[in-house]
Amino acid sequence: MSRNVVIVEGLRTPFAKAGTDLKDVHPADLGEVALRELIAKTNLDTDLVDEVIVGNTGSPSDAVNIGRVVALRAGIPLKTSAYTVHRNCASALESVTSGFEKIKSGTMDVVLTGGTESMSQLPLIYNKKTTSWFIQMMSKKTAMQKIMHLKNLSLPALLNPKISVMEGLTDPFVGINMGKTAEILAKEFGISRLQQDEFATMSHTRAAAAQESGALKDEITPVFIPPKFKKVVHQDIGPRAGQTVEKLAKLRPYFDRKYGSITVGNACPLTDGAAMLLLMEEEKAKSLGYKPLARIRGYAFAGLEPERMGLGPVYSTPIALKRAGVEFKDLDLIELNEAFAAQVLACNKAFASDEFCQNKLGLSKALGEVDPNKLNVNGGAISLGHPVGATGTRLVLTLAKALKAQNKKLGLATLCIGGGQGGAIVIENMNV
Amino acid sequence: MSTVDCLEIIDKGDYAVVEFDLKGEKVNKLSFPVMKRLQEVTNELKSSKYKAVVVKSKKKKIFIAGADIEEIKSVTEESQFRSVLEQAHSIFNAWEDLPMPTIAAIDGACLGGGCEFVISCDYRIATLDKSTRIGLPEVKLGIIPGFGGCIRLPRMIGVMASLDIILAGKSVDGKKAARLGLVDEAVPKELLDQRVELMVNDIIAGKKSKRQKTFKAKKLPNKFLESFLGRGIVFSKAKKTVMKQSKGFYPAPLAALDTVKKAFGASRSKAQEIEMKAFCKVAVTPISKHLINLFYLMEGIKKQTGVSSDVKPLKIEHVGVLGAGVMGGGIAQLAADKNYNVRMKDISNEALAIGYKQASDIWAKKVKRRRLSKFDFKKKMSLIGSSLDYSGFPKLDVVIEAIVEDMKIKKMVIADTVKHCKEDAIIATNTSSLSVTEMAEAHPNPKNFVGMHFFNPVHKMPLVEVIRGEHTSDEATATIFDLSKRMGKTPVVVKDGPGFLVNRLLLPWMSEALFLLEDGMSIKTLDRHFTHKFGMPMGPCRLLDEVGLDTAIKVLKIFQNSLGERIQVSALADKIKASDRLGKKNKKGFYNYNEKGHDTDVDDSMYSLLGLKSANDSLTEEECIERGMYQMINEAARALLEDKIVETAGEVDLAMIMGTGFPPFRGGLLRYADEVGIQNIVDKLEGYHQKIGIRFKPADSLVEMAKNNKTFY
Repeated sequence: MSRNVVIVEGLRTPFAKAGTDLKDVHPADLGEVALRELIAKTNLDTDLVDEVIVGNTGSPSDAVNIGRVVALRAGIPLKTSAYTVHRNCASALESVTSGFEKIKSGTMDVVLTGGTESMSQLPLIYNKKTTSWFIQMMSKKTAMQKIMHLKNLSLPALLNPKISVMEGLTDPFVGINMGKTAEILAKEFGISRLQQDEFATMSHTRAAAAQESGALKDEITPVFIPPKFKKVVHQDIGPRAGQTVEKLAKLRPYFDRKYGSITVGNACPLTDGAAMLLLMEEEKAKSLGYKPLARIRGYAFAGLEPERMGLGPVYSTPIALKRAGVEFKDLDLIELNEAFAAQVLACNKAFASDEFCQNKLGLSKALGEVDPNKLNVNGGAISLGHPVGATGTRLVLTLAKALKAQNKKLGLATLCIGGGQGGAIVIENMNV
Repeated sequence: MSTVDCLEIIDKGDYAVVEFDLKGEKVNKLSFPVMKRLQEVTNELKSSKYKAVVVKSKKKKIFIAGADIEEIKSVTEESQFRSVLEQAHSIFNAWEDLPMPTIAAIDGACLGGGCEFVISCDYRIATLDKSTRIGLPEVKLGIIPGFGGCIRLPRMIGVMASLDIILAGKSVDGKKAARLGLVDEAVPKELLDQRVELMVNDIIAGKKSKRQKTFKAKKLPNKFLESFLGRGIVFSKAKKTVMKQSKGFYPAPLAALDTVKKAFGASRSKAQEIEMKAFCKVAVTPISKHLINLFYLMEGIKKQTGVSSDVKPLKIEHVGVLGAGVMGGGIAQLAADKNYNVRMKDISNEALAIGYKQASDIWAKKVKRRRLSKFDFKKKMSLIGSSLDYSGFPKLDVVIEAIVEDMKIKKMVIADTVKHCKEDAIIATNTSSLSVTEMAEAHPNPKNFVGMHFFNPVHKMPLVEVIRGEHTSDEATATIFDLSKRMGKTPVVVKDGPGFLVNRLLLPWMSEALFLLEDGMSIKTLDRHFTHKFGMPMGPCRLLDEVGLDTAIKVLKIFQNSLGERIQVSALADKIKASDRLGKKNKKGFYNYNEKGHDTDVDDSMYSLLGLKSANDSLTEEECIERGMYQMINEAARALLEDKIVETAGEVDLAMIMGTGFPPFRGGLLRYADEVGIQNIVDKLEGYHQKIGIRFKPADSLVEMAKNNKTFY
């Protein structure tokens, strides 16, 4: 008998632009809030949980297997295993697909999956020269030796730390920054600055409207900020209702000052946040009396040139669709992560291009046009933000909730992955 | 009970192990028979071939819990105490004088007489186990260490450190004991036997011998303070601290201080004579008897279940709190602190944030004082989840309601909550003034509804009134009683009724304060009479501020309706009500309050607000105290004997001490009443009744008691 994997429910923290309201909250704490409240919301008997899988890219040094930390703090029993997965921008999609596989195979029945990231808390790191100075210092025995060693310290080296967030956003294989990969796509696909700014504006307009209408409310649980608890973050910090193309036009290109078109306004911001899903085998969920949100139909990850990583969705989607047995045209809603407006628009063009699909993907013809009304209906990463290790789950969660709200059936969540990959997952609303 | 085999000498060849195991008892304690057996054992060892003797306990988590209090409870004559002490000294001295070195292997509680025994050994090794506590809690029972503790401890760890332990009745863990030099080594529990054996081998090999450990100060300031001159400073400083903390109401710490001072450096026999004299003097005081009775009341609660049937309390894992404010947050903190999973629910995120802050602040203080690690802090905080809806409620075993004091709203919320809870969940209301029985009408199954009245601030006040409504089941009562204990509180089961027990007794006293002000008392003098002369932790005016002037007046009016004409309210109450003064919560009351909420001084503008002429303090201290306290006793007689709010006088006394800070040295309200004499009280009340008003009319039951020459105990 074949087993189906369902998403029972999901919950996330608000996503907040790095350096704002969630900046002092440890990523383990963000994950804890989302997971604890998901457990409460679903009244889950935690004894039933087989495993907890959490995506994260920052690997905070004080919580190296952050998945375990999140699980225990959220009230998962000691006996239950938990681990952390890292597939860069798709870490929290990797957690979902790992959970899917474990349930599908019959190994497990109940898995909690998600992701958490605090990009505010990504550290500065001593450079090599300073690091080796510290190591030498530790080997000095006497006070005199230590004092003498002081003179070997290079102040310029000390004041020139490695910025881990910058390093993380630079492809180590080709040495190109993520922003620059988007510049490549903008140029190759002929995406103008105006088109990008228009897309970014739409992202903000849709997200702000979703906030206004409460469309996102059901997927968000508030974060209380210790130690003073004066602030309660209860909605995403990023969406701007009054965003206009004119305002965005004033920004200077960030990655290619002279010929570029990518600005901080049409790219996603560094973000803090966490998201969690409860996955179960379908019969198990039903026997426990749950009414699941959606069934997972299939998924895929695929690779491509790192310098064009933004096209990842185009590579992974057809494989995921094939595995799910779903046609591109039958998709009712699509969540395509907005790393950069240029990158999303390039994907759209590639999806619709016979030439691209034939040459690059080996398909007989184009997958099809992406209907803007089906795409990122509640805004996307440009407005909501992109906490790298949490986004994958957020996309699936937002998609499942949107399918439910709109009473639509089939949805695709897909995203590009730094390092030259794409990830895609197809889900099906079970209530239509 | 045979105690002959409580101490057993086990032959190990070159050395002996003395095993302490008081058969048929949970703990090892030093009773007359045990001491007699110790004497036999000592004699036997004295003439033995052994080169070393090790003492250990066979009880888990207990080494020696102390002397048997049961035996001294009823002793009233100094001479009786004296003979007990003389015998104990001679036995401990003989033990100390054994020809071979002795080692105490301490794992578990080692208190009072137990501690005094180990310091008469030559060497001590303690475990680092949590259960290991070494100390001298005697002053807490109104006595002083009497088996040489005031003599050997200062010699061993210095005057400063020993006063720290003796005067506060403190105990220390293994780690601290090693640092103080109270033990030679603190070792992991599992290695105790091994380390003891190493020490025995050292002794047998002649590397260690008989000794009398004497304290040597290490650093310069301490060297001075432990010198002849420095000790004078230490003693006078300690005296000031004791006076400040005890307000002079407790003679034991002062007697202990005096004993340490006089006995320090004196010969053993002389020092022991000094200690015995001081002990006998304090041990026969009523204060000591009161404190011992209180100890028994507390021990009684530990064994009780809150119900007369043999119903077992339900196992509780998940606790909900409705209403997150300061009270709700405090309850959530308490529950999470004891590792319960907690859900808070309120109507706004801002309200939930207040609850989180309340909880977080309490733990943060502990972290600051290094009483809690930051990891444990985080762990405990993580146990508290919250939401605006009923997320997680189906899993809850108990829901504690701490929302606004409004019957209508409470009923609505309770009816709503029940729908989201499992069938056998118990809902408890933390109301302080509303009827539990009436509130239970909102619960479809009122047997699962009960009152659980915490006192503010929740983390500090030890009392919980467990209120049985008319339909409350034994199971619900027993469960909440048990939960209260598990939360570290002292529960007292009370029947439903206006103000339950504590507030019903307390309010008339606070109300009387307003009349006393009318009669010309000043706020400061009035409060001081009750704090400095009677021993209450706060005077009535200060307490009115603390409770909230609006709240107190509101509750008084409720009492007027339900208890009738004997509840009189001063006209000043309406003037306060008409003003913007709420007390401490808006920093406007009888006192001024600083940023931190500490009272600074009396707010003199209160007099003009109340239309009072300048106070002349014309009433005597005696009259103030009588008018306040006798009214309280009068109401207690009605609550206990007529309305049967509680069943025993002990419960009244325990509740008043734990819930209001009624001075423990007085043994409680009704012990105090017995001491004053019921007839005296009735006469005084009748006098005030004639002179002042109906509120002093002696209760029928009290008059009856006086007539029959009865007492509360």
